[in-house]
Amino acid sequence: MPSVIHGKIHSHPSTSVLTVGFVINRIQCNTIPMIHVRNLRKSYQDLQTDTFTALDGISFDAMPGQVYGLLGPNGAGKTTALRILSTVLRPSSGTAIINGFDVNVEPEKIRHQIGFVSTNTAIYDRMTAWELVQYFGRLYGMDAEDLQIRMEHLFERFQMNDIRNVLGSKMSTGMKQKVSIARAIIHDPPVLIFDEATSGLDILVAREVLRTVEQLADQGKCVIFSSHIMTEVKRLCHRIAIMSHGRILAEGSIDDIIQQNQEPDIEELFYQIISKHDREKQRKVLS
Amino acid sequence: MQWSNVKLIFSREMRDQMRDRRTLFTVAVLPLILYPLMGMAMLQVSQFMREHPTDIWIVGAENLPDSPALIVDGEINESFATPKDRKLLHLVASEEDDREFKSLIQKFKQNPEAHGSHLIDRLLEEQMLRRNVDLAVVIPAVIDSPRPIDADQDASRPPKIYVFHNSAKDKSTIAATRFSNVIQAWQQSFVDNVLHQNNVPQMLIRGVEVTNSDVADKAGVSAALWSKTLPFIVMIWSLTGAFYPAIDLCAGEKERGTFETLLSSPAKRSEIAIGKLMTVISFSMATALLNLLSMAFTGLFVYSRLTGNMGGLAIGPPPVSALLWLVIALVPISGLFSAVALAAAAFARSSKEGQYYLVPLMMISMPLMMIPMLPAARLDLGTSLIPVSGLMLLLRGLIEGQYEQSLQFFAPVCGVTILCGWISVRWVIHQFNSETVLFRASERFGVGDWVKQIARQRSELPSVGSALLCCILILVLSFFVNFSMGGVPNSFLSFCKTSIVQLLATVLVPTLFMALILSKSPLRSLRLNFCSVPTACAAVLMAICFHPLFMAFRELVMIVYPMTGDMSGFESAFENIMSGAPNILAILLVMAIIPALFEELAFRGFILTGLESLKNKWQAIAIASLFFGLSHSIIQQSVITGVVGMILGIIAVQTRSILPCILYHATHNSLTVLLSMTESGYVEGSPVLSRILHAPDKVGYEYTAVATMVFGILACALLFWFLKLPSARGDQNFKSNEESLDADALDHQTLKA
Repeated sequence: MPSVIHGKIHSHPSTSVLTVGFVINRIQCNTIPMIHVRNLRKSYQDLQTDTFTALDGISFDAMPGQVYGLLGPNGAGKTTALRILSTVLRPSSGTAIINGFDVNVEPEKIRHQIGFVSTNTAIYDRMTAWELVQYFGRLYGMDAEDLQIRMEHLFERFQMNDIRNVLGSKMSTGMKQKVSIARAIIHDPPVLIFDEATSGLDILVAREVLRTVEQLADQGKCVIFSSHIMTEVKRLCHRIAIMSHGRILAEGSIDDIIQQNQEPDIEELFYQIISKHDREKQRKVLS
Repeated sequence: MQWSNVKLIFSREMRDQMRDRRTLFTVAVLPLILYPLMGMAMLQVSQFMREHPTDIWIVGAENLPDSPALIVDGEINESFATPKDRKLLHLVASEEDDREFKSLIQKFKQNPEAHGSHLIDRLLEEQMLRRNVDLAVVIPAVIDSPRPIDADQDASRPPKIYVFHNSAKDKSTIAATRFSNVIQAWQQSFVDNVLHQNNVPQMLIRGVEVTNSDVADKAGVSAALWSKTLPFIVMIWSLTGAFYPAIDLCAGEKERGTFETLLSSPAKRSEIAIGKLMTVISFSMATALLNLLSMAFTGLFVYSRLTGNMGGLAIGPPPVSALLWLVIALVPISGLFSAVALAAAAFARSSKEGQYYLVPLMMISMPLMMIPMLPAARLDLGTSLIPVSGLMLLLRGLIEGQYEQSLQFFAPVCGVTILCGWISVRWVIHQFNSETVLFRASERFGVGDWVKQIARQRSELPSVGSALLCCILILVLSFFVNFSMGGVPNSFLSFCKTSIVQLLATVLVPTLFMALILSKSPLRSLRLNFCSVPTACAAVLMAICFHPLFMAFRELVMIVYPMTGDMSGFESAFENIMSGAPNILAILLVMAIIPALFEELAFRGFILTGLESLKNKWQAIAIASLFFGLSHSIIQQSVITGVVGMILGIIAVQTRSILPCILYHATHNSLTVLLSMTESGYVEGSPVLSRILHAPDKVGYEYTAVATMVFGILACALLFWFLKLPSARGDQNFKSNEESLDADALDHQTLKA
């Protein structure tokens, strides 16, 4: 189905399923990164340690149609990076440009370009699935007719028609995550951010989430996928960045990084890189 | 701001809250069931509140005269008590064979002056306790019926009646009050009879007969009662009604994890804040209205029942106009309370923490709500400028129907309420834009850690935290030093010692200590830079030119907040002290030069330099001036010094030097001292001064209106000149911002290339 881009009709085979009657604002071209991050830093005031640096100058590019994996142990800075990309947080320094918009300059415009699903983005307990998705659709400025068609489609796609009128408080974790994803893609954004979106889900729901991510990438969306489950990363991600203590320790395609570091698989690669970095850090502290 | 988003957020939040059982219970169900239940309880309790009879032990009843008879058939004579009092005053007469009674009478006969002595008091207390009576009346000697007084009769010592009560027991105090009315009426009748028997006209004794009448109609009495209670009820419930939704909409959302979902949506923070604020306002108003209606309905029902039981208690329903005024006033009240509650709740990480923040808010608001309930509180310009209290007093006046008096203060009350509301809304939006507020990590706070952090962050110039710490230190030290220094000094020398020690201990020492400890460059922190001669001259000239305006402002402040009697006494004592000074230079040194030096080092030196880290010079100047005002303990002085502090702040920021500030401050204080000490006749001898100053009431000199105007224009021109000077820190910030923007632009260009 064609989609309207800047007033012109473009053939966009990847949007056949999810972009029903929807408008994409920016030209997507595989040579220009959809997400361009340079020297992104974020630090907080901390009573004990004075300043806590959550992000220490990370840089990466993610292309349309690509699943970009952010890997790292707890406290590596993945969530901070993704919160900055979703404009929930402001960077202390550095830039992040998403589909041509700078997070420092046009955060409101960026919010129309992204869909954000995180372990921290819960759904409302006292709203039904239908009400919640509709609420966010309206916040994204969708007109009533388009929103209705899009919602019908998404509820059908995610098999959520049975829970249309179920309150958030009555839903299972899996149902909540489905509603969360529907909420995040209701406006068909070119960029999707999944921050540990499968943690705490059973295998059936987790697989469905992964399948959705694959489909979204196939449709030309740029997906940032943060996780510490290596099998998921291996299955989904075209490129990865391994993070620790706010820094990117390794970046590239999975095969390239494995080859460069001469490790047998991604799990071992991840373990060795993080351990080596921790040892070096400890040595610096001691010296 | 897109109002469609605000509307969307508002309707979602409203629906969400309406589905919350706890909120619904607090807002709607509780008022509907609480007051009827309380009413039922009151009706049950009212039977205990009925007036109980009090027992009065009459010792020596046979000594009372037959005419006028106080006791008839074992009861109070109906001529001297109302039927109700007669029933409630139960007389316990002594019996002839009562040994204690006889010994007591004997003691009084022997030494009637022993009344009040420890022995008699103890004995009577014992007897009253043993006999279970509330009041003891002792008539020790026979009181004859009124008759013509013989020439040889000693009429100078009238017979005595002693009434003993126990003030430690409420029932005894009630009995004393009841019996006092009776005995006064009997005494009056006795006197009238004596006068009649001796052919003395009553006018000779009474002089004038005073009759008291209450001219208030029933509606007026009712309005006066409702005007005090209804505004308080509305205020307290609008505050309570704002609490729970505010906590749920901010801290609750953070706790449930839905806040981040909303923040990642295209709605702006200000739209989210306003949408939530409107929801809290709606619930605050609904809670107040429902409570008011439920309470009024139940209250009227209970009162009607109690009126029937107790008699005499007649409270009419509140006037319709009262309800109308309350509903109108509810909008700003709820708006103000909701904004403050929402801003405080936004800071909390969880609902539990939210409650911790909102309880102090209640504690701060309560005195403001209680002031207007005091009988002496009245609406004037001073009280109308107090937030919440002014609005309540205006409401009180309107409910009482005093439209003319109340509406003349309508503008200041509205102004203050709108200003407070605007500041609160700005605060809410600021809270929603602040990452440190929205994503505050749970961190253990310790004073030690905080002080260490300030020391760690020691940079060239002090930080905002250091500046605020210095302000708090000065205020706390001032409080303790002022109390420990005692009363008003009695000589000029002791006054000098006191004021210099106070300034040293509370202002200079903490400032120098903090400048040395908390900054790497104490000289720059204290703004000890040289300034050019023209700048210094301009500062002195501006102080001279602004002085007439400040004197006029001082007069205005004195009208708004008049000096109390104590302060006037202090002023006269102060004049006496000054008269003991060796010369005018000594006075100027103590009153003008030393305070200018010390206070400027503190407030325009260390504190303002630290506050300039806010990167908004107007905010920095305003906060420094606020604390400068607060450091002067008298409210009139605080207001004036606060405004002078703004001018001094501008000079400090624009000239980057403390010297012109010291010169301005010293000149200002010197002029004030000189003006107050100028002797009459001195000005009239000078052709120049006589055009500037005049003595309208022959007491002290004032600036003429023309001089005030001319000098005021000159002062504004000088202020404008100071504002045109480039400021120090602001330029640096501006430069660094420009550099970062250039770097951003470069990065964009690189990307495009």
